[in-house]
Amino acid sequence: MLGLHKQAWSAASALTLPVGGLYKMRRTGEQHAFDGGVIHMLQTAVATDSFTTYKRYADAVRAQPPVALRDLLDFREGRTPIPVEEVESITQLRKRLISPAISLGALSPEAHETLSIAMNRIGAKSDSGEGGEDPARAKPRPNGDNASSAIKQVASGRFGVTAQYLNDCRELEIKVAQGAKPGEGGQLPGFKVTELIAKLRHATPGVTLISPPPHHDIYSIEDLAQLIYDLKQINPDATVTVKLVARSGIGTIAAGVAKAKADAILISGHCGGTGASPVSSIKYAGLPWELGLAETHQVLMLNRLRHRVRLRADGGIKTGRDVVIAAMLGAEEFGIGTASLVAMGCIMVRQCHSNTCPVGVCSQDPAMRAKFEGTPEKVINLFSFIAEDVRNILASLGFRTLNEVIGRTDLLHQVSRGTDDLDDLDLNSLLSQADPGPYARYCTLEGRNEVPDTLDAQMIGDAQPLFSHGEKMQLHYNVQNTQRAIGTRMSSLIVRQFGMATLAPGHLTVRLRGSAGQSLGAFAVQGLKLEVIGDANDYVGKGLSGATITVRPSVSSTLVSNQNAIIGNTVLYGATAGELYAAGQAGERFAVRNSGAVAVVEGCGSNGCEYMTGGTVVVLGDVGDNFGAGFTGGMAFVLDEHNTFDKRINPESLIWTRVVDPKWADTLKRLVERHVEETDSAYAAMLLHKWEEVLPRFWQIVPTDYAKVIGFSVPEVALEKTA
Amino acid sequence: MTNKMLKFVSVQQRQPEKRTAEDRRADFDEIYTDFVPAGAVEQSSRCSQCGVPFCSVHCPLGNNIPDWLMLTAQGRLEEAYGVSSATNSFPEICGRICPQDRLCEGNCVIEPGFESVTIGAVERYITDTAFENGWVRPTRPFAEREESVGIVGAGPAGLAAAERLRAAGFQVHVYDRYDRVGGLLVYGIPGFKLEKHIVARRHDLLVESGVTFHLGQGIGSGEGELSFDALRARHNAVLIATGVYKSREIGGPGAGLAGIERALDYLTASNRRSLGDVLPDDAQALDANGKNVVVLGGGDTAMDCVRTAIRQGAKSVRCLYRRDKANMPGSAREVKNAEEEGVQFEWLAAPEAFVGDGHVTGVRATRMKLGLPDASGRQSVEALEGSSFTLEADLVIKALGFDPEPLPQLWAQPGLEVSRWGTLKVGQQDFQTTVPGVFAAGDIVRGASLVVWAIKDGREAADSIQQWIEANNTAPAAQEQG
Repeated sequence: MLGLHKQAWSAASALTLPVGGLYKMRRTGEQHAFDGGVIHMLQTAVATDSFTTYKRYADAVRAQPPVALRDLLDFREGRTPIPVEEVESITQLRKRLISPAISLGALSPEAHETLSIAMNRIGAKSDSGEGGEDPARAKPRPNGDNASSAIKQVASGRFGVTAQYLNDCRELEIKVAQGAKPGEGGQLPGFKVTELIAKLRHATPGVTLISPPPHHDIYSIEDLAQLIYDLKQINPDATVTVKLVARSGIGTIAAGVAKAKADAILISGHCGGTGASPVSSIKYAGLPWELGLAETHQVLMLNRLRHRVRLRADGGIKTGRDVVIAAMLGAEEFGIGTASLVAMGCIMVRQCHSNTCPVGVCSQDPAMRAKFEGTPEKVINLFSFIAEDVRNILASLGFRTLNEVIGRTDLLHQVSRGTDDLDDLDLNSLLSQADPGPYARYCTLEGRNEVPDTLDAQMIGDAQPLFSHGEKMQLHYNVQNTQRAIGTRMSSLIVRQFGMATLAPGHLTVRLRGSAGQSLGAFAVQGLKLEVIGDANDYVGKGLSGATITVRPSVSSTLVSNQNAIIGNTVLYGATAGELYAAGQAGERFAVRNSGAVAVVEGCGSNGCEYMTGGTVVVLGDVGDNFGAGFTGGMAFVLDEHNTFDKRINPESLIWTRVVDPKWADTLKRLVERHVEETDSAYAAMLLHKWEEVLPRFWQIVPTDYAKVIGFSVPEVALEKTA
Repeated sequence: MTNKMLKFVSVQQRQPEKRTAEDRRADFDEIYTDFVPAGAVEQSSRCSQCGVPFCSVHCPLGNNIPDWLMLTAQGRLEEAYGVSSATNSFPEICGRICPQDRLCEGNCVIEPGFESVTIGAVERYITDTAFENGWVRPTRPFAEREESVGIVGAGPAGLAAAERLRAAGFQVHVYDRYDRVGGLLVYGIPGFKLEKHIVARRHDLLVESGVTFHLGQGIGSGEGELSFDALRARHNAVLIATGVYKSREIGGPGAGLAGIERALDYLTASNRRSLGDVLPDDAQALDANGKNVVVLGGGDTAMDCVRTAIRQGAKSVRCLYRRDKANMPGSAREVKNAEEEGVQFEWLAAPEAFVGDGHVTGVRATRMKLGLPDASGRQSVEALEGSSFTLEADLVIKALGFDPEPLPQLWAQPGLEVSRWGTLKVGQQDFQTTVPGVFAAGDIVRGASLVVWAIKDGREAADSIQQWIEANNTAPAAQEQG
């Protein structure tokens, strides 16, 4: 109080306002987790391979005024140290460290590859983030380096999430949210979308890319279980991690995630990662991982789930001490993001969004990228130092392995950092211990939590001639809606043996009679054709990667195709290539985040074509509300029989016109013809029959920015007609 | 507001125009011309607006550089001046004489490849513009206080402290043995780096704000000098900011010859001449006109000497330094300026004797080579045997550094403890010496250093003095002094 009075009334400060320093560090302003001295010390340590300098850095971090909850915790004394040689090796400890998800796009290609190479060299894991990855990186370099991220992220944008991408990894991570900006999506400004990035993300160079806040295929824990199931089908070896953010009640969510057969759960904290946050979320958004981790660990223990799922924490972990505290609060794996960027040269310029990073870490501008001085060696040094630091701490506490301290909150106690308001915090709820029962406090599962087989097990057996001799085949089954993700495991085999695009479309045709279950043809690849005679549930063609899917009613059906739904919700979400023809209406959220697939349906529900960045969609009937929100690439044609389209469209990023350009009219007609061929739709055949009358009732929808790129302009004739 | 910053990717670095070397050699005026306003705006817009601004981190004063660069880029100069002057007592002086290439600009993150933002030039531009527009006003306290503070030394540390103490309302008295305010700013640093009217206008401002100067008033027991005890008795607190003035000497054969002069004597004489003072006859020895000049040393003082000698019309000017160019302590920018103006450098050369009969005629030197770096990372030097050579010299200037004068003896203050380098010992946080109520700041505490450090110390010492006085109000009230 006296301090405030003095500040207000002293002569010196009355003349000039305090400079602040909340977002950008100022000497007299707010304490920042990484200050200039600490950055320099860490960079010197990793550049000179000096653990002594690292120790100085770690001590300096420890000596900073408290900024994190763990700064109020310390190890209990009175334990008997053991010689450090008896503790598990640095190599073992390093494997628990992860360089967490930062997309290529946010990072420059150089920085992104450097992290992957470094983590692969030490047998640890790097995370691709959500921007896709060049498949060429999966091939070893001449010197033996592997630049492929061991963890591939599946986030709400599904950018570049192809069958190939999902198979080039050891782990798949579903990002439900991001610790630094919970509940928010991301944006990659257009000027950072280079040719390379556009290619990897299946988008248009120069056009801003939006990652939607939610996953459009996850509206409940069952949906998440479905996605986990799909991912375990498309990659039969990879474990699946679900990334959650610290929040109250996270324990319940995590228990659900564990029951949904996730193999690891990541609790992401509010600190770090803020380079990707909008200014409004850098502060006061998110919670410390300490809170989320403690709650998750306790709830998983109470529900006897902890031993079958790994727990991971990230968000501002900087030193070995942070790692050991995280272990004691319940984690067995640890993400170190910001510090690994600093090791590569990041100096917290915090202009990640401006494409002007002067050290080339997060810029796509070649002039900036040339400034990049990061090396795998520097990153390896950081992770080795942290592991060595952990090892020393474990030795000083008398433990031989990190597993022994996981969940051992009894080894921690709250300390005073000299101010009353901090002393008033009661951290006991973080430190309470759940009864382990007969199980360990850490994950004892080897391998992954397997999911049951689907029809693909039988299909793969029947398709042996394809895999042994490359024969063209046709298979035929009856199907019911409990059989999910049909064609997905098969696609994994195809992509691993033949690649994404070597088989001709329809090389393996699978005809299915009945109601196909969820995720029909999820991530299915070129060469596979799925023909459904009947109908299909939600998520048809999720992440479609080149396959053809046709769905038509059975011949005996009396339903009028264009008046009835034949495929469920969230069809073609995140599709990157392939074709879908459905003789009937699609449900809600049709072709959301489509970035390359071609589709013809006879109507769709709300939010169609949302956030689409590529591909062509033809809707031969009414669309629901909010059509084309955030639609920035690709094209759509909608038949507007009832003149309601202008009430359905979200006009923000789009232009729409009648189909006057003969080139596009021809494209449209050929797609409708193809639809008739594939589905025998009587309705579509009738449209073709009276095409001259029908064509003028179509709208052609083109995103404004995309139109500029492809040179599409609204012909004047069309303007007159719309006016 | 549209973002006007981060233009370093498209806008080249452009320092204000430098006068041609030919032109510069003819007078003692500053060598950089002023920024045209558009140039300052454009150059400020190159700032990257870092999250952790290393320019500010490496500024002794912690100047909020990105903030005033942004304000300048937006044309909000009066606000820029407000932000700049909030952390720096004399921004226009720092803008001129700070070795920016080792501090802010040297740590500018766009520096590798894009060349740093011209921080120093913009800093100078902001405050010069503020002076032109009358935004710089004398500090007036909200309320006067009775307590008084005596400051010994009117150099940068003393003046910075005086300004801040005066702002807090104290009665401030500054004592200096010289006849002008500024210390080394006026008599040490040559006009081509800092024109003297810049210092004089600061003097005027301080007088206007109510600071009392006692010029020509030495402290000690000599004739006309004020004893330290008497000074202490006059004031509630005393700040010692005398600087370090004892020149480091060099021995060896012939070291006593005439024509071997101390850098400070040389620079002071030159500055006095420029200021129009009448110099005593023997000062003729301190004029380089028509002479072969050899300057010993590689610091900023040596650079000041060589460049002064050029301007005085020396026949030749050579600088002798025992390490190489990369290892010299002086600012690289000053070396470049000196080279442009015609100074010849003899790197890796150390003097071993002075030749001459009564008056020096030459310097004999040995070639050196760099050894391996020691624990501090500095490379030692070793002499190369049999490499002696002689340089012709009529005037040899010793710029080998400065040491503190022995204040405890000079002022009969045995209670003032000094370090093994002779600098005053002060508390790490509070600048208080071992004598209660007596504080010290600037070079006398840290040894010969930069003006910017002196300003920082002066400001912080002032705050500490205020706290001390407020905590020790019961101390005997100072006599009103005449």
